[in-house]
Amino acid sequence: MQIISIIRSIIDPNRPRQGITDLLRSGCDNALLDFAAVCPPDILEKVGKSDFKSTRYTAAAEDPKQLGGLMRGLTEQGRAAGLTFPIAKAPYTAVDTKRNDLTDRLLALALECIKICGAQGCSYLIVRPPMAAVGPTAKEGSDDPLEDAYSGFYLTLARTARENRVTILLENQCRDIGGHLVRGFCAEEREAAVLVDELNRLAAERYGSWTGQQDDYFGFCMNVGICNLCGQNMYDFATALGDRIKAVILRDCDGSSDASQLSFTCVKKGQPQTDWLNLIRGLRRIRFDGCLIMDYADTAAACSPILKPQLLALAKAQGDYFAWQIGMERMLAQYSSRVLFGAGNMCRNYMKNYGEAYPPLFTCDNNKSLWDTDFCGLTVRSPEALRSLPSDCAIFICNIYYREIEAQLKDMGLPNPIVYFNDEYMPTFYVDRLDAVTRKYDGQV
Amino acid sequence: MTGIGVQTKNVISDENPQDGFRLLKQAGFSDVDFSLNGYLLNTDLYRNSLNQFFDRSAAELEAYFTPHKRAAKEAGISISQMHMPYPAYIPTAKKEVNEYLWNEVAPKSMQVCHFLECPYIVIHGFKLARYLGSEDAEWERTERFLDHLAPTAKEMGITVCIENLYDNVGGHLVEGPCCNVHKAVARIDGFNERYGAEVLGFCFDTGHANLVGIDFERFLNGLGPRLKVLHIHDNDGISDLHQIPFTFTKTRENRPSTDWEGFIRGLRSIGYQGTLSFETAPVLSAFPESMKPEVLGFIARIGQYFADAI
Repeated sequence: MQIISIIRSIIDPNRPRQGITDLLRSGCDNALLDFAAVCPPDILEKVGKSDFKSTRYTAAAEDPKQLGGLMRGLTEQGRAAGLTFPIAKAPYTAVDTKRNDLTDRLLALALECIKICGAQGCSYLIVRPPMAAVGPTAKEGSDDPLEDAYSGFYLTLARTARENRVTILLENQCRDIGGHLVRGFCAEEREAAVLVDELNRLAAERYGSWTGQQDDYFGFCMNVGICNLCGQNMYDFATALGDRIKAVILRDCDGSSDASQLSFTCVKKGQPQTDWLNLIRGLRRIRFDGCLIMDYADTAAACSPILKPQLLALAKAQGDYFAWQIGMERMLAQYSSRVLFGAGNMCRNYMKNYGEAYPPLFTCDNNKSLWDTDFCGLTVRSPEALRSLPSDCAIFICNIYYREIEAQLKDMGLPNPIVYFNDEYMPTFYVDRLDAVTRKYDGQV
Repeated sequence: MTGIGVQTKNVISDENPQDGFRLLKQAGFSDVDFSLNGYLLNTDLYRNSLNQFFDRSAAELEAYFTPHKRAAKEAGISISQMHMPYPAYIPTAKKEVNEYLWNEVAPKSMQVCHFLECPYIVIHGFKLARYLGSEDAEWERTERFLDHLAPTAKEMGITVCIENLYDNVGGHLVEGPCCNVHKAVARIDGFNERYGAEVLGFCFDTGHANLVGIDFERFLNGLGPRLKVLHIHDNDGISDLHQIPFTFTKTRENRPSTDWEGFIRGLRSIGYQGTLSFETAPVLSAFPESMKPEVLGFIARIGQYFADAI
């Protein structure tokens, strides 16, 4: 999985050196090539109007061929410093746009973006449809999404995409009902999946397949912020789209106002307002291994430039955390044998969800009173029992005092891999919890 | 002609149901949504607190609701839909609470529904996705409950209606059971085929749909004839407020922030002939008591507008 940072509010395309350096120092060496940085929605909203004034910020909106030149400083300095651009995003109009005359201009901008992506070795380009605000995937009363004008828009991009070996990603959108953001284009997962498949089929019919795979031309970018604004079940969303999802835009918001905030920052009474549980469940289920785009542009914009390096480092750590959570089952499968450390709720959750597929030899615990008892079908042993393990047997820490236990195991001089397990986002949960003191479940008499 | 209805809650009293039904008729309503859920409150159930209302035998319940039935008939009001007490299952509750809900409350609700000659009863699907892992697994449990009710429903000629619901993530209301129209259609069709009767239908709740950004028109078009009843009410897209349609705006243009145009187009497109029923009981507790006739009249007038537009 590639952890990718946005550039908005982090790297200034007109003076990119400091932002590139900050990003690389945070440990993140991938960035989203966001063409909206030089052709933003507010400029597109005004372009061609009688009161429109040309400035150096309006060049790309007026002439799409200027895009490459305007991004050159960023791409050249970035690549020289070691920054890569695995994925890009074409310019787009705002969700409440009043412009319904920009289809040709957005098409020209997207075609130009594809060519730049091809030259940069960038594999994916996210392209929002024109007038995303006005309607859902299919026309009113139509059962066939391909009757919709959007299909024509996307198919126009297909040949250039093939020539440049760039896959176009559709993205779920909102639409605006009197200031209330509701489900728009590609927001219904099943219809989005049908649209992606049909676009691929039609494009392959017209221009042939690159590699014999079905998904050469079009894929999907799941925008978590949009799902959250529309209160969607992200498990269903991810599993319905499956491997069509090539990228996920990870961002937080309060569920009613559109914002790109750092993950886990939108909370109410200590609880997150984004349904991370269903998101991670879904991405884990489909074994997502694509581009994970960390979008926290609004948090970054509000953050002092003095603190920005620390913010970038935190965002990178979050990206690594999400990748770890999503890849939890892959991580379990890496080891041929394993034991657990901990005989509490986390052990119980491990056994409920993964005990059958990845059975541990036993579990151990520092609580002497539990030694040689059975818990969830496992014998609880003393940590000293770990000394008899073959060296390739992994020890999974099933206790939130990870660092303390890890230090204990290291002090024991064990040669085995020490791995953190975590049950915050399990595929299923028990209704009750084990009381750490009484060893009884809640509600158990 | 399409009927216009409203909840009995906050209008019909057990002591004197005649006055309430007369008031509704005068306000312009032809139908009511009988609030049986008012006799066993969800807020009490979540506190593991059961009252004794459903300890009554079927005959005792019939006797209890005979004045209501008579008063509705006298006023010329049809009891065209009913809400079963909810939730029907509480994962964290004691076993005896869930057994009571399953074995006493649900069957007796069906009997009351039949007694009041009401063709539709709305239930809430189980909210278990967090524990079971998916909405599909959650539905399996709801389906067991529906299987429990279906033989009685078939015998009595009642259609049980599932409703689009929300769930709560840190105070943010998100999709709950029955928010996916494709799944709902397949489930309803499969269920009815299995029973050889229209024992399952859908109740579209505009307020719940608005909370989770559902496209009204697409959802209604997807449901088609499976749509049997409505819960019409409005909110700010954030909280489940059950207020009067057209009252919420979010911008200086002051356009409605709920897609009522899509609602009308959807109902028109599927040729909806059922009752336009408002689930707006909280409005009546918000306005002064002395304004109740005018408030009810205004809600009924909105219903008439919808009927004309459809």
